Amino acid sequence: MSRKKEEEKNHRTQEGNFQFLQKRWRSIWNGNPPGMVLLTIGLITGILMSVPLVYVIIRSLAAGRDSWARLIGDRIPGLMWNTLSLTFAVTAFAIVIGVSLAWLVIRTDIPGRKVWQWLLAIPLVIPPYVGAVTYIIVFGPSGWMRDLWNGGVLNVFGDYPIQIYSFWGVFFVMTMFTYPYVFLIASASLRKMNRNYEEVARSQGMTTSQIFWKVNLPLLRPAIGAGAILISLYVLSDFGAIAMMRYVTFTAAIYYQRAGFDIPSASVLSLVLIVLTVIILWIESYSRRKNKFYQTSNTFRPPEILKLGRWKPLALIYVISVFTMAVVLPIFVLVYWTVVGAEAGAIDASFFEYAWNSVKVSGIAAVLCMLLALPLIYLKSRHPSFISSGIDKLSYTGYALPGVIVALGMVFIFNNHIPVLYNTFYMIAIAFVVRFLPQAMQAGEASLSLVSPRMDEAARSLGYPAWKVMLKVTLPSILPGVLAGGALVFVSSIKELPATLMLRPPGFDTLAVRVYYNASEAIYHQAAPGALLIVLVSIIPLHYLLKRY
Amino acid sequence: MKVNRKILTASVLTAVLLAACGNNEGNNTEANENAAGNTNNAAENTNNESNIENETNETNENEAEETNEAENEAGEETASETELDGELIVYSSRNEIFTDALLDKFEEDTGVEVRALHEAEPLQIQEEAGNVQADIFISNDIGGLEYLNQEGLLEESDPENIETIDEQFRADNNEWFALSTRARGFIYNKDMIEEEEVPSRMEDLLDDSYAEVENGYAITRGGNGGMIGNVSALRHEWGDERTEEWINSIQENAAGIYEGHGDIRRAVGEGTHAFGLVNNYYYHQQLEEPSDNNVGFVYADQGEGEMGAIANAAGVGLVADGPNPENAQAFLDWVLEEENQLEFVGESLEVPINPELDPPFEEAVPFSELQVQDMPLRELGNYFEDTRQLIEDAGLDLELR
Repeated sequence: MSRKKEEEKNHRTQEGNFQFLQKRWRSIWNGNPPGMVLLTIGLITGILMSVPLVYVIIRSLAAGRDSWARLIGDRIPGLMWNTLSLTFAVTAFAIVIGVSLAWLVIRTDIPGRKVWQWLLAIPLVIPPYVGAVTYIIVFGPSGWMRDLWNGGVLNVFGDYPIQIYSFWGVFFVMTMFTYPYVFLIASASLRKMNRNYEEVARSQGMTTSQIFWKVNLPLLRPAIGAGAILISLYVLSDFGAIAMMRYVTFTAAIYYQRAGFDIPSASVLSLVLIVLTVIILWIESYSRRKNKFYQTSNTFRPPEILKLGRWKPLALIYVISVFTMAVVLPIFVLVYWTVVGAEAGAIDASFFEYAWNSVKVSGIAAVLCMLLALPLIYLKSRHPSFISSGIDKLSYTGYALPGVIVALGMVFIFNNHIPVLYNTFYMIAIAFVVRFLPQAMQAGEASLSLVSPRMDEAARSLGYPAWKVMLKVTLPSILPGVLAGGALVFVSSIKELPATLMLRPPGFDTLAVRVYYNASEAIYHQAAPGALLIVLVSIIPLHYLLKRY
Repeated sequence: MKVNRKILTASVLTAVLLAACGNNEGNNTEANENAAGNTNNAAENTNNESNIENETNETNENEAEETNEAENEAGEETASETELDGELIVYSSRNEIFTDALLDKFEEDTGVEVRALHEAEPLQIQEEAGNVQADIFISNDIGGLEYLNQEGLLEESDPENIETIDEQFRADNNEWFALSTRARGFIYNKDMIEEEEVPSRMEDLLDDSYAEVENGYAITRGGNGGMIGNVSALRHEWGDERTEEWINSIQENAAGIYEGHGDIRRAVGEGTHAFGLVNNYYYHQQLEEPSDNNVGFVYADQGEGEMGAIANAAGVGLVADGPNPENAQAFLDWVLEEENQLEFVGESLEVPINPELDPPFEEAVPFSELQVQDMPLRELGNYFEDTRQLIEDAGLDLELR
């Protein structure tokens, strides 16, 4: 008898527990929990995206005291100095160039201001490692400039003075190909700046330069901050340009350590780089919280355009010279050597094989990203909770981290745990997914936010199950955004260098790898056609990028 | 036992089926082997002694290989070439410009598809030991090959024509053999510096005054295979302490530290540096350039009583348990054919080890005329790991300038 009672009691408490959990579960999701399938897919994707990171951290902590002691003693301080000084210098200078250009083309009557607004964004499509090659060709120790210098009257000033393989060389190249990040963001925010503030300032007797420093610049601070973060993350993660200019930062050091298969050291250095990245991301979120600027929208008047007057020629020379250095020169060099290459037969069957390989891995990555992004963005926007935002954050890990670290993690995991895929090109495609999935997510999210949840609800009330709603109602209306995201992933993947270099299986080279190899062997006529093709493909999403800012 | 046998028969059947379905892919050759192995197992199972099983399995395979070879010998070369199929995975630490023509020729001659990973380093083979990828490792540094051999990662072989390679240039059981040699020395720009001012001995670089030569001198990064061999040889000669001093000295005094030797010869040729520490054939290569080619070369340590030039060699190792063992064997036989030994040297303009062969660069100084350090090259394998450590401690492996 008593046993039966006990059983009943147990049963009841179990039921109670279950009900309690169910209630809890519903309250987490604000009464709208997602389907189990959707949640599982999202959860698995999020976790997979962060696996390489976790693996690298574990390996670095297991590296042993010896490795740590040795690295902390001599190596890390030097690398830290190299990396931070470059990051700081490039970021600072890129801000100066980006903001000044933005101000000139948006707020002044510089001739051709509409055209400049997009011409000056073009360096964005030239991967810095391609830019570096062109600068080496022109300014290198046996470059065109040297011949010009020694052949002309300039050599009375002494020997050819430019040392491209130096801190200043790397600094200049990195600045020229990253300033557009600041330029675009600053342009957008200058365009939105309300004229009223400036007029008040002017009525108080401030001069134009005072207005720039006291009114415009503070209002630009969030934009500058966002651009600075992008640039410093870029410098931290870049491998190609830095390696070609013979400079060694953390990224390059990790690459060389991994090439020699000194895995413990590579992991330790990676952990330091991860910490640096996290610090920068933290600064970003901190400054975002601190700096909130509100603009009144109801009295918005577009900003007034200033007359440059006698400064016009000088401003024009400045804009033209930046454009020349960052766009005309590299493109000219690439076209020149492509013609030379074409005459020498560099565009042969193997060139098309490399191009096809690039398209293959990038295409697979783009399709996978579009597929995986769907459940993630749906979960985030339709079922908001700390779980879905956690999944969202997890899937950004690979995006925030340098490619060398993602690749390092993938080598461990696939070699030891997934040998079937190790040394196949799928490994590269998967690395691209880990690195670029958020690009597809951002593009999709933007479209999804325009589709009212009422539409889903209507469809569900008419009897469609959740998955059918997603396929039949939501997907068609956000398809353009998803495809745009896929295109972004495709282009980023085509340009990607370090992970491709580290993960390529035997006998599988892509355009990016060939450009890197041929350029480092100084076989420019073979490097140029591939580089030019990469630049041309990268122009495709430029339109989309410009619209976004 | 019964269940066991069922599984065995099932796997034998599927394996045979797979093997029957055409032999295009490397996977299939593996399956083929499995089939062979499994039938052996099945036969052995009646006696069931699992330990013996493995051994007999191995001997069976060996026998099979031997009979194969015998057949090949009997049936003329052409016959053996048409039989080959599938692919061959080659890891190479040699510059791909030097290896591509060789591998293309192998593809042409045999129909085997070669998949090459260039710029591979020996430790990658160690890292992949549990998941072997490569069949053949082509190395620029005997130290790396012998190190892998000592770690048990290479497999013995008995290729045809191996006797053309002197015994000091191959491993005990031919786990690796070298095909071309090089000696270390200094390439210099004749417009910038006189031959007498170029160092004539390795130990000269301990002297800080070379930092003051106009435009200075160039070395490679310590991660470079040639540099690793160089440092190992010095440790053999001088011991660790003096070698460490030497590393610190060149790290301090060199005006340029490059990723590879090709960069150095170009830099010296174009006058960026007065001289550079390279292997002799980079001098040959720079001489063949259409411009910037006014360079000379000093073989190091040639004086009486001096240690002699530091030598190293490039060669081929057979990776143990590679995915395509038959093709790997075929490659070893093929590469030892005389014309292919020359093809291995290829555009590198090194000196072939086989004394019967004329070096492709006619003015190359034959090794017999050089005073070479008296250290068997395989010794380099004993130094390989500690040398890397020494270089890493000095920080030379990551230095570029």
